[in-house]
Amino acid sequence: MSSPTSSPPGWKAARRSHEFILLAVLMAEWVSFYFAGTHHTSHGTFGFGTADAQADILRHTVEIGLLALVMTPIILTGGIDLSVGSVMCFSEIVFGKLWRDAHMPIPIAATGALLTGAAAGGLNALLITWLRLPPLIVTLGTYSIFRGLAEAVTRGADVFAEFPASFTFLGEKSWLGVPVQVYVFVVVAIAVWLLVHRTTWGRSFRAIGYAPEGTRFAGIPVERRLALAYVLAGTVAALAGLIYASRLNQVTAADGTGYELAAITAVVLGGTSIFGGSGTVHGTLLGWVAVAVLSEGLAYANLPRELGGMLTGVLLILALSASILPKVLSNWRARRHTGTSTSQPPPPAST
Amino acid sequence: MKKHFREWSVAAALGFILVALAVFAPPFYHPQPLLSLVTYEAPTLIVAVGMATIIICRQIDISVGSLFAVCGVCGALLLDRGWPCLAVLPVSMLLGALMGAINGGLVAGLGLPSIVVTLATMVTWAEALRWLRQGVLVNVGHAQWFGFTQGEGQLTIVITALVILLINAVGLRHLAAGRFIYAVGTNAEAARLAGLRPRLITFLMFVRLGTLTGLAAFLAAVQAPTLQPKPDNGLELKAIAAVVVGGVAISGGRGNLWGVFCGVLLLTVVSPISPALVYLGIPSYWGKAIQGAIILLAVVADGWRARKQKF
Amino acid sequence: MKRNLMLLLAAGLALVACSKSDSNAPSGGGDKKPVIAMLPKNKANAYFISCSKGAQDAATALGVDLRFDGPTKTDPSMQTQIVEGWINQGVDAIAVAAEDKASLSTALKKAQSKGIKVLSYDADVLPDARTFFVNQATPEGIANTLVDEAARIMDGKGEFAIITASLVAANQNVWIAKIKERLAKYPNLKLVTDPLPSNDDKDQAQQQAATIMNAHPDLKLIMAICTPGVPGAAEAVKQAGKVGKVHVIGLGLPNENKDYVHAGVTDSVVLWDTGKLGFLTVQVANALVKGTLKAGDKEFKVGDTTYKIDGDNILLGEPTIFNKANIDKYDF
Repeated sequence: MSSPTSSPPGWKAARRSHEFILLAVLMAEWVSFYFAGTHHTSHGTFGFGTADAQADILRHTVEIGLLALVMTPIILTGGIDLSVGSVMCFSEIVFGKLWRDAHMPIPIAATGALLTGAAAGGLNALLITWLRLPPLIVTLGTYSIFRGLAEAVTRGADVFAEFPASFTFLGEKSWLGVPVQVYVFVVVAIAVWLLVHRTTWGRSFRAIGYAPEGTRFAGIPVERRLALAYVLAGTVAALAGLIYASRLNQVTAADGTGYELAAITAVVLGGTSIFGGSGTVHGTLLGWVAVAVLSEGLAYANLPRELGGMLTGVLLILALSASILPKVLSNWRARRHTGTSTSQPPPPAST
Repeated sequence: MKKHFREWSVAAALGFILVALAVFAPPFYHPQPLLSLVTYEAPTLIVAVGMATIIICRQIDISVGSLFAVCGVCGALLLDRGWPCLAVLPVSMLLGALMGAINGGLVAGLGLPSIVVTLATMVTWAEALRWLRQGVLVNVGHAQWFGFTQGEGQLTIVITALVILLINAVGLRHLAAGRFIYAVGTNAEAARLAGLRPRLITFLMFVRLGTLTGLAAFLAAVQAPTLQPKPDNGLELKAIAAVVVGGVAISGGRGNLWGVFCGVLLLTVVSPISPALVYLGIPSYWGKAIQGAIILLAVVADGWRARKQKF
Repeated sequence: MKRNLMLLLAAGLALVACSKSDSNAPSGGGDKKPVIAMLPKNKANAYFISCSKGAQDAATALGVDLRFDGPTKTDPSMQTQIVEGWINQGVDAIAVAAEDKASLSTALKKAQSKGIKVLSYDADVLPDARTFFVNQATPEGIANTLVDEAARIMDGKGEFAIITASLVAANQNVWIAKIKERLAKYPNLKLVTDPLPSNDDKDQAQQQAATIMNAHPDLKLIMAICTPGVPGAAEAVKQAGKVGKVHVIGLGLPNENKDYVHAGVTDSVVLWDTGKLGFLTVQVANALVKGTLKAGDKEFKVGDTTYKIDGDNILLGEPTIFNKANIDKYDF
């Protein structure tokens, strides 16, 4: 990765201000939709500003949130995982097949799905660490093959549906007013946050992204850490698949299409550098919520849904530009003062 | 031979499959369906030609699918208004160039990572197209096959694609500009110190990809009497997969367009819509899995070779 | 620390500001125009676009607010998401054309429990999730018309194939079942393979048609039972140079198929007035909201037209066959 030879001054401050700005954007969105999308009638309040709407908005994107959470450590290491959407779908299909065709009880089928996800992550990890291949291209390959296998196993047609209530409660019911899957999400979020920010393993992720060879010389088992990141991603992708299946009460071969890009969007929006080495899990959560509120809030405000996608794209560019701004400004200032340019060539897409 | 081992192995794989088809499924070679298949995939070849140099420069562009859809719809709208094909073609290419310039400006000018920039532009263009068009078909009617007969139109498209391939392959190999591209992809900093301008070259590669995509979009738009606005056409994956299978390394600096050509052909022959699957008796829902396997195999083969070279 | 405090403050404000909507009150109430929400399978599909035009006409005439929104490709999860958003917005009625019955039905039952009137059109959901289903024609009517047309064109014998929307589309699957039943009347008519999916994509339909013609050189007819499938199949026949050898019929919009019918590629298309379907849907929704139509009624009057209610199906009428003789008279 094109890592800076030294952390530019104010790097941490820049990141913190990035989160502040993102939080401000999120609050601005939320307040705008609250006023534009809520209406009060004699029978009660309806629209964006109701607890039901907020709960639904969260419910609808828990899967993407889970993928974004586990995408964070991977991107911190300077890698990427394009296969999470396909792995999510393929795990769902394994789940459906085990439950419906092999007549296994739900918990066994669910375990099978989680193991499938872990194995898929393991495949990614194997190819990336053993063959030293760029994660972009490895996960592009696994993205294709798992989607292809999903279509082949279901013969393009099969749909697994009508799961028992003992399973669908996960996606449909609420405890104490909070949807069940949100509890699962919170548990995973806390676990990932602790892993990344409070363990040496988490610190090693950032070290690997910042300087892979240096980290290896420092004695850290880089391959094992990378393997953890990718296997974790695969397993949580399978979990996301289970939640998706329980929410919609069906599994098809087209599930999860585009989810990997939505997860990457949330991570980058949250301030994590795509080159690795810096980023936070709470940033990812902010980014995820910002996009979720944007995409659904527009419908509540009676605005076209497509606007959400367009604004997300623009927001992404702005977020990227904002993190680059200090470097660009300092280069520009340097050029003006000394007449020479320290301008770097454009960053590569992968090492 | 050793230097281009990767390209030769793709060609060999392609050759093997073609021979197997000749033996086990001769109806694959019926001229009409074969020509239709090749015509349908000709735009993909053109986009892959553009994508190859982007990847050689160690960048990536996942917005080509949306770019393709936008240029196609704009071109079709003009055709519907009665503009002649010869006038619409440059407009489509110019529009593609502009959209590519936006990508290039953000990547080369601001130094933003290309995967995220093109992710953002992909989403923006796709949603803008959906919003403005709302899925309504565009009528191309009289301009189908450029107004020629079907056979003439198909041949025109295929020959155009091959000519584009030839020009770019020769240029990449023999022109100094081609060598500059490899230089930037191998080590941009070294290239800069050697007097090249990596940022300008990178910018131009994005513009080039956009222009070629605009051309490809036009060639696709004239293949049917109505055009569906379809931003999620999976073109970026097709192009990148073909480029990777064809031997262009994602780590930059190596690969050539003949390998890409073989990659496009290989993935076309086994695609779910290919008559090959039908004639070999393979159900079409295996098509995606077969393509995925080929991509993964190509990826692993690259890694295996690199690993063996290291020790 | 400061940032964490800000975060907590923001979350707290959000919680306080959010009021719980009254779950037992009928939504909306009499203090504003009724809001009728209409969900297509795919809002980019010309069939549903023409339905929405009729729906908008009805909405304008009745003075109600119409919200027409849907996924831009076949996407059952997006359908559920949109419906749940409407429930929270407190609309008065929801009319859906379901891509997949099960997932949407759960959301619709939630809507019903909140007092929102629910009906389906074009593609039904589970019967207890809606009050009425506005059916364009009986499944038997659709299937019989198609099979009889096919038999007439093929002289009662030969191979044919079916192109459908997506393989899980519930309404298409009902029609396919009825088609197979009707085929018993024509023992020499052979369906060569399982229905081919086009996923409402004209290009995919074209590819499927081309492939099936390659696989079965003796194929005599392609029956496309979704509207994008008919022009797609016709284009494939034209490009393969098999006009006259392979016939095309299907459920298609007149405007999309006029050129193919006149060129002799497509023999006939069968459909109903989609604008009227949308119009009737909004009329029924409005009547349910106003209370002038209730479950168990036997007929529904709109202006001078009386529509029969068969159980809980409101029937638009019989399907129409469009061919060279009459297709120019229609514009939708």
